[in-house]
Amino acid sequence: MVVEDFINFSDWIGGGILLFGTIVLAAIILGVFFGYLVASFRHGPFEAFYVVSKVIGQAIPDFLNTSPRRVWAIARLAIKEAFRRKVILVTFGIFATTLLFGGWFMNSNSEHPERIYINFVLWGTQLLVLLMGMLISSFSLPEDIKNKTIYTVVTKPVRSTEIVIGRILGFGLLGTGLLALMAIISFLFVWRGLSHEHQIVGDTQTLASFAPIPADGLSGITRRRVSEDAVKEAKTSTDSGHSHLLELIHDTRDVSAPEPQLQTNIIDKTVDQAAGTVTYRRVVCKPVGGHTHQVFVDGEGDDARISLGPAVGYFRARVPIYSSYLQFYDRLGNKTQKGVNVGKEWAYRGYVDGGNARERTSLSKAEFQFENFVPSNFRNDKILPLEMTLGVFRTHKGDIEKRVTGGIQFTSVPENEGVDPVFISDIIDFETNEYSVQTLPISRKIVGKLVSPDGKLLEKGEFDLFEDFAGKNQRLHLTLSCRDINQYLGVARADLYFRAGDNLYWANFFKGYIGIWCQMIIIIAMGVALSTFLSAAITMLGTLVMILIGFSAPFIRELTKIDHDGGGPIESFIRVVTQKNMMIDLDTGYLTTIIENVDKLVVAILNALTYLAPNFSTLNFSNYLTYGYAIDNQRILIAVLITLAFCVGLTLLGYFALKTREIAK
Amino acid sequence: MVSETTAKEPKTGRLEQTNPDYDPNVVVETQNLTKIYRDFWGRQKVRALNALDLEIRKGEIFGLLGPNGSGKSTTIKLLLGLLFPTQGRALVFGQDASEVTKNERIGYLPEESYLYKYLTAEETLDFYGRLFDMPAKIRKERVAELIEQVGLTFAKRRQLKEYSKGMTRRIGLAQALINDPELILLDEPTSGLDPMGTREMKDMILKLRDQGKTVVMCSHLLADVQDVCDRIAILYQGDLKELGRVDNLLQVSDETQIRSSGLTAAAQDEIREVIKKHGGNVVSVENPRSTLEDLFLGIVRESQERPGHRSSGADAKKPKTE
Repeated sequence: MVVEDFINFSDWIGGGILLFGTIVLAAIILGVFFGYLVASFRHGPFEAFYVVSKVIGQAIPDFLNTSPRRVWAIARLAIKEAFRRKVILVTFGIFATTLLFGGWFMNSNSEHPERIYINFVLWGTQLLVLLMGMLISSFSLPEDIKNKTIYTVVTKPVRSTEIVIGRILGFGLLGTGLLALMAIISFLFVWRGLSHEHQIVGDTQTLASFAPIPADGLSGITRRRVSEDAVKEAKTSTDSGHSHLLELIHDTRDVSAPEPQLQTNIIDKTVDQAAGTVTYRRVVCKPVGGHTHQVFVDGEGDDARISLGPAVGYFRARVPIYSSYLQFYDRLGNKTQKGVNVGKEWAYRGYVDGGNARERTSLSKAEFQFENFVPSNFRNDKILPLEMTLGVFRTHKGDIEKRVTGGIQFTSVPENEGVDPVFISDIIDFETNEYSVQTLPISRKIVGKLVSPDGKLLEKGEFDLFEDFAGKNQRLHLTLSCRDINQYLGVARADLYFRAGDNLYWANFFKGYIGIWCQMIIIIAMGVALSTFLSAAITMLGTLVMILIGFSAPFIRELTKIDHDGGGPIESFIRVVTQKNMMIDLDTGYLTTIIENVDKLVVAILNALTYLAPNFSTLNFSNYLTYGYAIDNQRILIAVLITLAFCVGLTLLGYFALKTREIAK
Repeated sequence: MVSETTAKEPKTGRLEQTNPDYDPNVVVETQNLTKIYRDFWGRQKVRALNALDLEIRKGEIFGLLGPNGSGKSTTIKLLLGLLFPTQGRALVFGQDASEVTKNERIGYLPEESYLYKYLTAEETLDFYGRLFDMPAKIRKERVAELIEQVGLTFAKRRQLKEYSKGMTRRIGLAQALINDPELILLDEPTSGLDPMGTREMKDMILKLRDQGKTVVMCSHLLADVQDVCDRIAILYQGDLKELGRVDNLLQVSDETQIRSSGLTAAAQDEIREVIKKHGGNVVSVENPRSTLEDLFLGIVRESQERPGHRSSGADAKKPKTE
């Protein structure tokens, strides 16, 4: 999963408060400006000035005297309005119909069917809920003003704050209820859509249906390499568009070694006293499309009945422990800001060089530093799963079946560099699963050495990753290197992490909907605020534009930079009209200077404007659900605070705009 | 400056603009109240109300009369804060009309009952009760009482979209009274009502006055105004043309009307010179009265002939000749 912003609440809150202040200030300025504009149309520019200044004076008493009962009365009215106008019914009807027929088009046979299902429900819900929020909030107040029903409200002791907050609250509650219902139905839809069971193909559901592995070591069914200890294999029935390969494994280990964690799939065990080993005969189900099935053995020996449980692996909420920073080193071992540039992929991943034929020993590496590396962060602190999603850039194809090898090494971070000895682990080699998540189980006890600052070996043996390596400062360095010459391994900070454990999937699923909820609340607040001074159609259009800007904020911000060829909007236009090449500078002169400066100004204004619209990418958690990662509570807190900030800002905008306008015509 | 039509009656519409002290007996006060609609560039489009000075005292029924576009609805909207004055000011209970708190003592029945059609009568009144921050228990009692009072008990759980116009007016009146207001502003209160409903509405207005409430109403139905109003103001194209007590305004001061009974037919011919000589009983000797309709049409006619001038009302007050 691509993660570009590693948000930490304590780091964010300072900037967040600044952002909040900016939003509030911008909303007040905008509200007063629009209020002045509207008042100018009605009273002329001079009278409008008087109206606006009077409103500013009344603002604080109005906010202080806002009555919760009146706010709730207006909220209730908004809920009843939406209900009785059947907006909710229609939205829910569309949602239900979409799910009803959408299931037909879900491809369970794909590599990751859960991603298709989750994406489908998330996008469907998001689209419908945002559209509903836009519609109900855009039409409510303008309709009241058009029908003059607002006359009977504003002639009661109702303040503009109460009208704006009441509507946001009412529509917000309504949307929340609808979203919760959609989330529950979506969860059931995904769960039902993906749940399936298999049976073993063959006359019996026992080992009799298993066939021996051919002598070439490749599966007789798939013609692919089987597990190292596999001796027999079988195939499951095809359900939900796929089947699994079952392998009978002879798992031999020392008598003193711990028993396998999973006990349900053991057929029997044989102890060889002479060799001091014990062999477990186990049946394992090979994963397909991101899931597998737990194997259950009923009975003992060859007649034991083998059955498969429900799908496991679709519904994950992995809790990653990311490094605090990533440092690249070049071939000579010098620090570099980024890894090797292999073309367009530069932007996200940096590449580690595996050396070449002339310089076989490359010092190129990616160094991850983990902070607060303590056992309490892990559910199981004996075996630490290290998960990676690495990119591979091959300079030669070679044996395409052969995977590129990487190396992992741990080192301690001495408190006094150059004084304290350093723990260095042996390099753990692994074969990369290109662009898909692979897990490397790292034992807490790791073989390595203790080296003095001058490189002298002090001790060799097994060390504890937490107590020895992380030590008192609880820091750990992990270096990733490419072990194949002329090949490159691509990695970004989010590509390599320790998996602390898994959170409850259903809880994570509903957390994902908090992002949609935040977006919906902002849209509702925006619709209500804009509708205080715009007509329903224009409000809807404005809100729609804000939604589009919100979803493409990073792209639009990118557009507002003039650090690319061709210049800003005016310069680009001139180039288009005059058919001038982007690479050629415009003729120097005062005209060009004016154009460039106006461009800078326009671009600065455009860039500032993009910050007025919410950046929905920070409120979007769909990737976490799609790729099976737990959503960090800090992210949720930040998203809720951003939403709150927008609500306050937009309430202010709505208040000033409503207060400065004449309700009657 | 407003002058009264009769010499005997003291002028009631005069405002002391320099005295800002609040007199609790003055419920509504407008000072030089002007409303001009302008375009964006500040150019005048319409002068809807021109320097209106009014004073409405506690406990009276005050009528605003005028043809379409005369400024009576604008006056009501300015008093309610729905519009902002271009010049001058409107004070209600001594507070500026834009103050929200004044609304706690006001009830307003708009021209059309602008209510939420998807609510039932009970929900409607409950909603408006909540807007007055009324506690649940009091609100419930008040809602039941008002529904009973306006005779809508049988339809209290029906949505307003199923209501007839008369029923809608009634629920509109009920919402105007939800807070037991001291000042009630009624915009065309009898519009859409049948004769029975009109009578009930007028009785209700009189009853409110008897309870010590102040009523300001504007209407096109002159007979209704004549029946219930204590004082009226007649507006034409934004200007105040007449202001005073209805009785006085309709009095024709330069003529005398004699009514008698018990006379023979012969005596009737000589009645003007010899009424006393023939020994008839003089029942009354008084000035004749015009109708409000005559007065109103006379003012409108005169205003059209002499725009910008204050009406003398002389023509209008002449009784119809047979």
